[in-house]
Amino acid sequence: MDTALWLSNVEARADEKFARARYPRTLAILFDPSCALCRRCVHWMQHQASYVPLSFMPCTGEQARARYGDIPWLGDELVVVSDAGEVWVGPAGFLTCLWALEEYREWSFRLAGPAFAPLAERFFLALSHRRRALAFLFEPKCKDGTCSLGR
Amino acid sequence: MSFDATAQNLVTVYCVYASASVGLTVWLARTLSKNGEVFLDDVFVENPRMAPAVNRLLVVGFYLLNLGYAFVTLKAGADALTPVQAMETLAAKLGALLLSLGVIHFGNLYLFHRIRRRAQIRLAPPPVRPQMHHPEPGSGQVYSGSQGAFG
Repeated sequence: MDTALWLSNVEARADEKFARARYPRTLAILFDPSCALCRRCVHWMQHQASYVPLSFMPCTGEQARARYGDIPWLGDELVVVSDAGEVWVGPAGFLTCLWALEEYREWSFRLAGPAFAPLAERFFLALSHRRRALAFLFEPKCKDGTCSLGR
Repeated sequence: MSFDATAQNLVTVYCVYASASVGLTVWLARTLSKNGEVFLDDVFVENPRMAPAVNRLLVVGFYLLNLGYAFVTLKAGADALTPVQAMETLAAKLGALLLSLGVIHFGNLYLFHRIRRRAQIRLAPPPVRPQMHHPEPGSGQVYSGSQGAFG
């Protein structure tokens, strides 16, 4: 087979593939700064390799309130906003965070699949609602979950 | 049973075994490289010259592993004294060779699958649909290409 022809075929397919793929280019992650577990998770995420640039914002901060104040879930649930303005909230936000990490993208698809989705949704909801109580589990002296956990 | 007859049996076993193992390895390697190329073309769309290179390297590894294993297990020794024993030894050896070729072959297929999956996952959008669109200054694009389990 003619090599030049083959190469141009492959290149055409590559262009088509990249044109089709539309995914967020950056993600803003709005977390609860008064929760020790959340701060620890943010610290963990910052040390993971990610596919897209991530920015972390405390949801009570001025910047977050000025830009994203009209998102109704802000402060109650984890909120993830992409450069194109898509907003993922709660369990979907957790999965989008996993999706952004190189090591865990496969898990985000697994957890969103039909086998795990109901379980994952309940797990992330429970995690989110009990986030302060869970800090108490890691550090018994942390009664209200707002202390700083060992990093 | 004379010494000559035993030697004759052994030589026959060795000849059949050696030709069968070499023939099978060559045939399998060719099949693997011909069909694996399709997978690899799909994986290395960004750098098309990688596909034949990786394919070639995989096939070389396959040859080394299989032929090495086949020659190491060639020795039949005193197991081929009579024609019946010779047949049995030959069958046992060929069976073991085929089984190990099968394992290596499926291992190779799994490898191709993993390589392809990793490449696909890099371009995949998040697994869950966004809950809302948040208009941000400077970017009016609304993203709408996802299939979600949640929401």
